[in-house]
Amino acid sequence: MVLFNYLKSTILSKVVMAVTGVLLVLFLFGHMLGNLQVFIGSEAYNSYSQFLQSLGEILWLIRIVLFIALVLHIITSIRLKLLNRCANPTRYEVKNYVKATLTARTMIWTGIMIFCFLAFHLAQFTLRITDDESKNMKDMNDKNYSMFLKDPRGSVEINKDKYFYAEGIKIMKERHDTYKMVVKGFRNPLISLLYVVAMVILVFHLNHAIQSAFQTLGLNHPNYWPCIQRSSFWVSLLIGIGFCLVPLSIMLGFVGAGV
Amino acid sequence: MKIKLIVWRQNSPTDKGRFETYNCDEVSPDMSFLEMLDILNEKLILQGQEPIAFDHDCREGICGACSCTINGVPHGPEKATTTCQLHMRKFKDGDSIYVEPFRAKAFPVIRDLIVDRGAYDRIIAAGGFVSVNTGGAQDANALPISKHYADLAMDAAACIGCGACAAACPNGAAMLFTAAKISQLAFLPQGQPERKKRAIAMIKQMEEEGFGACTNYYECEAACPKEISVRFIAKMNREYMMARMFSE
Ligand code: HEM
Ligand code: FES
Repeated sequence: MVLFNYLKSTILSKVVMAVTGVLLVLFLFGHMLGNLQVFIGSEAYNSYSQFLQSLGEILWLIRIVLFIALVLHIITSIRLKLLNRCANPTRYEVKNYVKATLTARTMIWTGIMIFCFLAFHLAQFTLRITDDESKNMKDMNDKNYSMFLKDPRGSVEINKDKYFYAEGIKIMKERHDTYKMVVKGFRNPLISLLYVVAMVILVFHLNHAIQSAFQTLGLNHPNYWPCIQRSSFWVSLLIGIGFCLVPLSIMLGFVGAGV
Repeated sequence: MKIKLIVWRQNSPTDKGRFETYNCDEVSPDMSFLEMLDILNEKLILQGQEPIAFDHDCREGICGACSCTINGVPHGPEKATTTCQLHMRKFKDGDSIYVEPFRAKAFPVIRDLIVDRGAYDRIIAAGGFVSVNTGGAQDANALPISKHYADLAMDAAACIGCGACAAACPNGAAMLFTAAKISQLAFLPQGQPERKKRAIAMIKQMEEEGFGACTNYYECEAACPKEISVRFIAKMNREYMMARMFSE
């Protein structure tokens, strides 16, 4: 396929690694900020979740772009790994690394572990198949929908959403209780621990990856290179901590006490 | 000084090869690494054994002929130094030292510590030059070059093509060498007419020789006796992308 011709070139393969990797990092950053809304409260969190679901086609567009990026990232990394094994078949008896960091040397392994974690994560919170209950957690939106309702005592369906009469005057919309699902999920210390470990591995991967992407794309100039190398560490740490805060604070009971 | 050498011995390209241990008892700290091998070889010859084959030429750090990976680092532990300029005072009395040939698929071993680095020559032959149709000699100052670019071109041109970059790279990649050779001409006006063609041809040759792909370990930069910066690899990537996108 013409589409995969880039795999024949070592440099274009690296460019694809870098571009898809940067896309995934940008997504991770946004995803982390979204997750942190759990600290504002269940209303804000569920509204955010509802907002994402309401994007419809746009949500699917984002999903498809990310999926293609991930697939290209993985295919290319495996092809590069095989090529590089071939190019250096006879190992040294003694090898002393001078500049190659541990994180750089373990990219393929941290990558594979992140992939396994990703599969579990999607099964848990996107497909919701790890816990029977999580599919059916419902929450009421506190926006007023009374204008849609002819009979204020019944319920009505508009665009497949169910609207209820409740609390005397307010009409509420039924939606998935993402907040509850996340809180219940992370109350399990094993699951929280799994997420924290996965994020440590992610920090390892990104610590090498971010600066590597700049170098690969030719963005290395003495004026800003030291800054990129430092930022690569701090940005990956920031992403890691941002993600970890959610499971940790739920497990320790700071968040979600009302659920 | 007493030094224990564990040296890779391989009779021919097809021989499997093995390590052999030699005890050198009277090593002076003022000897270079190659002088120590010379003395060991003389001893081996007197004993009727085959001397250790190794590459060398200028012995003053400018030709790039000497090689060897010493204790897992091409050209040994001293920064920015070729094997011929490495002195035994860098080691301690009683040290064990592993001496191996430069390893990469594109650098097949010929014998003992000598590898065939012809792949680098073929990368140069693919485009690492400026074609000149000789005519009348040009006026010396007809081509102004700013100090900044002259310096950058000189930094890249410091490459002596020794092969340490590919030997140090866990991916057996020759990116630093190829990048230096592409960059030195891309910085200069004489290099402009063939700039895109050169980048594409040299990189294609590099891939055909069986060198790997860069994963930004930066081991090449650490091993380079001339301290060529990986910044030139970033430049090569830019040159290649531009050439692939915008060449007619
Ligand atoms: C959230 C997921 C991921 C993100 C954000 C991410 C990000 C990145 C980035 C930015 C790079 C740098 C590209 C470059 O070297 O120029 C990279 C490299 C790499 N990634 Fe990922 N990655 C992710 C998942 C994965 C997965 C699932 C694998 C699975 C095999 C993987 C394997 C690799 C490998 C092997 C490299 C290094 C390639 C090389 O050394 O040249 N990554 N990653
Ligand atoms: S022999 Fe010429 S550089 Fe070492």
